[in-house]
Amino acid sequence: MRVENVELEDFRNYRSAHVELAEGVNLIVGRNAQGKTNLLEAVHCLSGLGSPRAADSALVRDGSERALLHALVLRGDRRLAVDMEIRPGRGTRALINKTPLSGSRALSALTTSVFFGPDELSLVKGSPDGRRRFLDELVVKLRPARDGLRREWERVLKQRNSLLRTAPRSKSTALPTLDVWDESLCRVGAALAAARLEVLAALLPYALKRYEAIAGGGRIELAYVSSWIDQDFTEEALGDPDTVAAPALAGMLKRGIDEIRQRELERGMSLIGPQRDDVSVSLQAGVDNPTMLDARTYASQGDQRTSALALKLAEHDLLTERLDDRPLLLLDDVFSELDPGRRQWLGDAIRSMGQALVSSAEPGATEAARAECVIEVAGGKAVVGSARNG
Amino acid sequence: MFAGPLQRLVDELSKLPGIGPKSAQRVAFYILKISGAEARSLTEAIVEVKDRVRLCERCFNVADTELCEFCRDSRRDSTVICVVQEPPDIIAIERTREYRGLYHVLQGAISPIEGVGPDDLRIKELLARIHRPAEGNEPVIEVIVATNPNTEGDATAMYLDRLLSPLGLRVTRLASGLPVGGDLEYADEVTLGRALGGRRRMSP
Repeated sequence: MRVENVELEDFRNYRSAHVELAEGVNLIVGRNAQGKTNLLEAVHCLSGLGSPRAADSALVRDGSERALLHALVLRGDRRLAVDMEIRPGRGTRALINKTPLSGSRALSALTTSVFFGPDELSLVKGSPDGRRRFLDELVVKLRPARDGLRREWERVLKQRNSLLRTAPRSKSTALPTLDVWDESLCRVGAALAAARLEVLAALLPYALKRYEAIAGGGRIELAYVSSWIDQDFTEEALGDPDTVAAPALAGMLKRGIDEIRQRELERGMSLIGPQRDDVSVSLQAGVDNPTMLDARTYASQGDQRTSALALKLAEHDLLTERLDDRPLLLLDDVFSELDPGRRQWLGDAIRSMGQALVSSAEPGATEAARAECVIEVAGGKAVVGSARNG
Repeated sequence: MFAGPLQRLVDELSKLPGIGPKSAQRVAFYILKISGAEARSLTEAIVEVKDRVRLCERCFNVADTELCEFCRDSRRDSTVICVVQEPPDIIAIERTREYRGLYHVLQGAISPIEGVGPDDLRIKELLARIHRPAEGNEPVIEVIVATNPNTEGDATAMYLDRLLSPLGLRVTRLASGLPVGGDLEYADEVTLGRALGGRRRMSP
């Protein structure tokens, strides 16, 4: 997939801008607060994924009611003209070749991107919710039919929690329906966990390779952490998620909630399940020290960033393999956080990853990225500076 | 704020489902413009629907007599009961003209968030119909659960299955899948995924 050009109208600090993009690495430079990230954000929206960092209302330029985005995308032999109108409170409309799509999410089936910015550090450093969301979003990118799964799960959980909270305290005979919600919880929860385990297993080999390369040796380990899945389950999980893993997981979740029924009733909420699971990220203590340490607690800020980057690049690799097409790579301000060696490595790595948009406030990044195209951004205006300088 | 009676009308209208303050204002000003006869006809329609329309004593569909048109109709197959959440669901199924059995309206679905449990639905009455068929009706053989295909509808269906299957009844659930006559290309992924999961072998 390749984006030929992007047009922005009333988007963030852009009144109107037209940007031509080159096929390989596009470097976006400029001082702080000029609109570099906003340009990446616009491209992310155009791939049907919404903003990676803010609500719709923040995307519209002050004083305007809606923001317009257009892009010309080449996918295989197809030329797709993508039009998008972001109307806060009234939803987002998307058209492909002037034909309306049922929802802006439907766009992601045709165009996909992987975004990495400063906030993605939370993938390693932040709360478990960010890591669960990372897996769940990857599940939908790989298997769009799973799109309602997380929402359905949240709905079932909310209903069950409500029942646990109210039933024991009221005279109602609603408690017998807990069995029914247990069954829903186990079925949907197991499907969600099975999908996560499948994605994590597929992601792991790519993450290993990327981390080893960027850190110059050393190992990264990813493990699904859950209080209700049997320790020795991992191998079975690699079977078919729908017919092998999900039914087995549903059984485990059922046994788990049966055991703690009384405690759940006392606390008035669901205490185990995918909503409490996590992914642990561990890194090798040193090149000569094989001990694995939890990255969240023991790793340096630089190593945390490197491992988060490895996860995102691995996501790009996995999507490239499974979707038979390279997703657009969006890297927001990553060079500034890396030492010269890792910076060089990243610059080399992205050159073989298809089209990329890379933003940087640092002049040094220009050399590392050896970009096909440099776009200078100042005060909400984007100018293609110099073509191919490498 | 408007003069007393007008504001009262706006307030009353904005209590209606799907009508916000702005729509309520629009409707109120429209009513202000219509003739006295039209206004009286509207109020009479509202009062009449409250006076004359009630729920069928057997199936809880809307009716203007003790029994609704389906429960009164002796030509319908009384061995099958189709369970729905609300009366409009019956109209949807009737439009198919494929179903000749009877109905039972639950008047909702199990939803702890909204404080709706099995006791708030017409489930006891359904059991009574199954245990003691009304005069002239055959014993029930099949119950078709046609609750909505969402979290609450599915939970209600599961609850009914657990309750009714032990009685030796055939409990069935509507299939979910693709709209007929449409293009596969335009089906959303979730529906298509479900249809794929529930695929059937063509020749037995």
